[in-house]
Amino acid sequence: MSFFAQIITWINVPMNGLGKFLLAPIGVLPGWLSNTIISAVVGLVLLIIFKYTSNQRAIGMVRDNIKANMLALKLFKDSISVTLGAQGRVFRGAGLLLLHAIRPMLVMIVPVSLLLAQLGLWYQSRPLLPGERTIVTMKLNSNVDSPWPRVSIKSIPGAQVMIGPVRAFNEREICWKIKADNAGRHHIVFQVDQQQIEKELAIGDGFMRVSAERPGWQWSDIMLHPLEKPFGPDSVVQSISINYPDRLSKTSGTDWWLVYFFVASLVFALIFKPFLRVRI
Amino acid sequence: MPHNNNRRINRREFLRQSTIAATAFTAGLSAKLSYAAKRRKAGAGKKVIIIGIDGMDPRLSERMMNAGMLPSFDKLRKLGGYRVLGTSIPPQSPVAWANFINGAGPGSHGIFDFIHRHPEKQCVPFFAVAETVGGAGYWEIGEHKLQLDFWPFNHKPPATLLRRQGVPFWDYLDEAGIDSTFYDLPSNYPSSPSEHGHHRCLSGLGTPDMLGTYGTYQHFAEDGPIRTKEEGGGKRSMIFFEDETAGAKLIGPRNNFLKDREAATIDFSIYRDKQADAAVIQIQKHKILLKQGQWSQWLKLDFEMSMPAFMPNKHISGICRFYLQEVSPNFRLYASPINSDPSDSALKITEPPEFIKEISNRLGLFYTTGFQEDHKALTNKVFTDDEYRIQAGMVLQERLNLLKYALENYEEGLLFFYFSSTDLQSHMFWWDSEEEHPTRSADVAKKYFDRIKKLYRRLDSVLGDILERYGDEATIIAMSDHGFANFKRQFNLNTWLRDNGYLHPPDSTSILQYVDWSKTRAYGLGINGLYLNLKGRERDGIVEPGQQREELIRELMSRLEAVRDINGRRVIRKVHRTDKAYCGPATALAPDLVVGYRRDYRASWATCLGDMTKEVLLDNDSAWSADHCADVLEVPGVVFSNRRIGAGAPALVDMAPSILTEFGLKTPPSMTGKNIFKT
Repeated sequence: MSFFAQIITWINVPMNGLGKFLLAPIGVLPGWLSNTIISAVVGLVLLIIFKYTSNQRAIGMVRDNIKANMLALKLFKDSISVTLGAQGRVFRGAGLLLLHAIRPMLVMIVPVSLLLAQLGLWYQSRPLLPGERTIVTMKLNSNVDSPWPRVSIKSIPGAQVMIGPVRAFNEREICWKIKADNAGRHHIVFQVDQQQIEKELAIGDGFMRVSAERPGWQWSDIMLHPLEKPFGPDSVVQSISINYPDRLSKTSGTDWWLVYFFVASLVFALIFKPFLRVRI
Repeated sequence: MPHNNNRRINRREFLRQSTIAATAFTAGLSAKLSYAAKRRKAGAGKKVIIIGIDGMDPRLSERMMNAGMLPSFDKLRKLGGYRVLGTSIPPQSPVAWANFINGAGPGSHGIFDFIHRHPEKQCVPFFAVAETVGGAGYWEIGEHKLQLDFWPFNHKPPATLLRRQGVPFWDYLDEAGIDSTFYDLPSNYPSSPSEHGHHRCLSGLGTPDMLGTYGTYQHFAEDGPIRTKEEGGGKRSMIFFEDETAGAKLIGPRNNFLKDREAATIDFSIYRDKQADAAVIQIQKHKILLKQGQWSQWLKLDFEMSMPAFMPNKHISGICRFYLQEVSPNFRLYASPINSDPSDSALKITEPPEFIKEISNRLGLFYTTGFQEDHKALTNKVFTDDEYRIQAGMVLQERLNLLKYALENYEEGLLFFYFSSTDLQSHMFWWDSEEEHPTRSADVAKKYFDRIKKLYRRLDSVLGDILERYGDEATIIAMSDHGFANFKRQFNLNTWLRDNGYLHPPDSTSILQYVDWSKTRAYGLGINGLYLNLKGRERDGIVEPGQQREELIRELMSRLEAVRDINGRRVIRKVHRTDKAYCGPATALAPDLVVGYRRDYRASWATCLGDMTKEVLLDNDSAWSADHCADVLEVPGVVFSNRRIGAGAPALVDMAPSILTEFGLKTPPSMTGKNIFKT
């Protein structure tokens, strides 16, 4: 698992660069529009990938076979044996189509996941508004015998600490309540014993890349929170998270952006399908 | 060719019919617009703004106006727009506001007290304004019961019914096409429907919390009781810390889909850091960090209602605020009553139902229960005086935000806005006497009474803003339902009835548990109500209607009015016969007599729900040190207007006719009041 974590950490570096450059229009466009444009482009690109990574000839044959059996179902609906046989072959065809989709899916799963992680930075949460308060949580390693480090916030430009540090002993967490003051992308600097560590803080209106968590050495967390460098496996700090507010929108808001993205990219893929002569 | 001809004819026909249709449509539209215009003619463009200030007292108001402390109110007084406003019999808010709503007395609306009883069940009490009636029939599946209100099952689910009867005055405005909007209107839960769509209302006093009560806080403390203990208006529990971590359960609404109606609960965790004097509370998706003495924001909580296995569980949304009172040595955490979530309300607290969501979209989350100031927490010593003051201050601020919203969204018609702060802060902080306060020293009592004066001044500035903004174009009325008086001594009516041989046996301690109805002739229930155990009406009635009833009524009136305290003072100013005081079609549940106490006196806490104490008269030792459930003449309210008030002695029942007249509508025969602006 440590190997995966290292690989994803490496991949995240160019992905963050690409994401920052390619997805920059999200910052200026309305959410529904940016998500629609991205869905259209992604639908088109994935369709092309599907075309060249799948066995189009075999898929075509399966689909023809399904069509023939559907026709048989219509024509011979009085004959139970023909109907049952045709239905069985339709189901078999559907299964075969799924099997033929495995190879393109395997090809697409990693880039799509990386893309979704980059999109999540924009859509999953919104930055804090000036004046808004939230909780910052530092999670320590789970070794209950290890002593608690001396932790403090050394500097927090653009915000101020209202309460904290407050320790949740059983959870091995240290929490702060902070209040956002000035818009911008800031870095909170923590002093943990002799070490200084940082966590990004996004304050502002509209769309900004928001890193809700600087993750620990877990490949899934590193995948979901790609923007900041993860803490190493031996670090006493395992993660630092900020409770950013949900973004309220059915097209580009928390959780809904993903539903909209999948539906819209599917719709665009179906629209482009006849022009690119792709058989799905 | 014939085919072509036909087509030509069809085209002509089409054009002809189109012309007819267009003409008919235009004519119809004109007629409709003209009809609408006629309907609107009476009140077109008219603005009436009413500020309901519950419990605003004429004596204090006049003192403050004379001292120049209420310039806006005083300005109206100097214009001839001030009168003492007669209240209801009895002067209780649900009764008084229902008088305002119907333009007639309790005989028209059927609300006589906070608490009523079903005579056929022999004094089993229920809330007077809204009653939840049990459903009928269900389908039993394991631990669950399902009520399916469609064929072939036709089960009847339980329903909460508005018990206020008669026609509210806004129905006449609604019918005339005049818009009316009410914020926090008392005695109107569940909100009554609008037939024509011109009426909007957010229910106020009488609206329950998610537990179905008038507001039940939950208190968690290390020195709390091991088993959750119910106390009037609250629940106390003990929490136990291990490694500075404690788990607790927030009790939510009852699950009506379970046979035993167990309450839905939410487990939450508390992490305490004594060194930081703070704690982290993790509840559902919320993580809150509070220092000692801090309040959380409103939190949306999801209560999951278990359903039979083949159905998805139901979810009900409630809102709650936490207040961290103490971190150590005795950790104490207060959770507010769980209010219905205004952004996703499970209760019908507005008309139309989506109105609450419109408000919430703009204002976020806010108190939706009728009693917002948590007076029970102060009475039960969960809050200190200052903690209550702060919580009441938060309520007032929320309501001022709501008022701002109301004014921004007001164009014409009627706008009604209600403030509960004057009532519920006065109950706890009012003390205008040199005599000893039940719970505070003289200095502290004065300090908190000054809070009431400060509150009056705050509302004076609110009125000033409204006058400045709408004074030239709207009729503005500020009114209260009753005034206030100290509550120093309490009178246990049932003990008096027992000691004087009207209630048996002589060692009875509660009319709900231990009464010999075959010998009992009268009993008290609610704050002012006295009922005869009348034959043919009460389940176990023994008093014969007619002569026997009449004699008993006269005897009780004369003996009660003669009751004296140990210092020789009269306790009761007047006992009202309801067959004389009330008229109208809704008197079925009315008490036979209403006891009107003198200032300083009120029914005892125990007697309201039928309990008896050893002594008839005893000191009030509660933080609830002022009240208005006295005699109608002891605690009148106030009415101010920017129009001259012509009536010499206006009363609450006169307000609805006055409002209708302002909009050019006639006073309906069901109303007994008169226009206060008419000389």
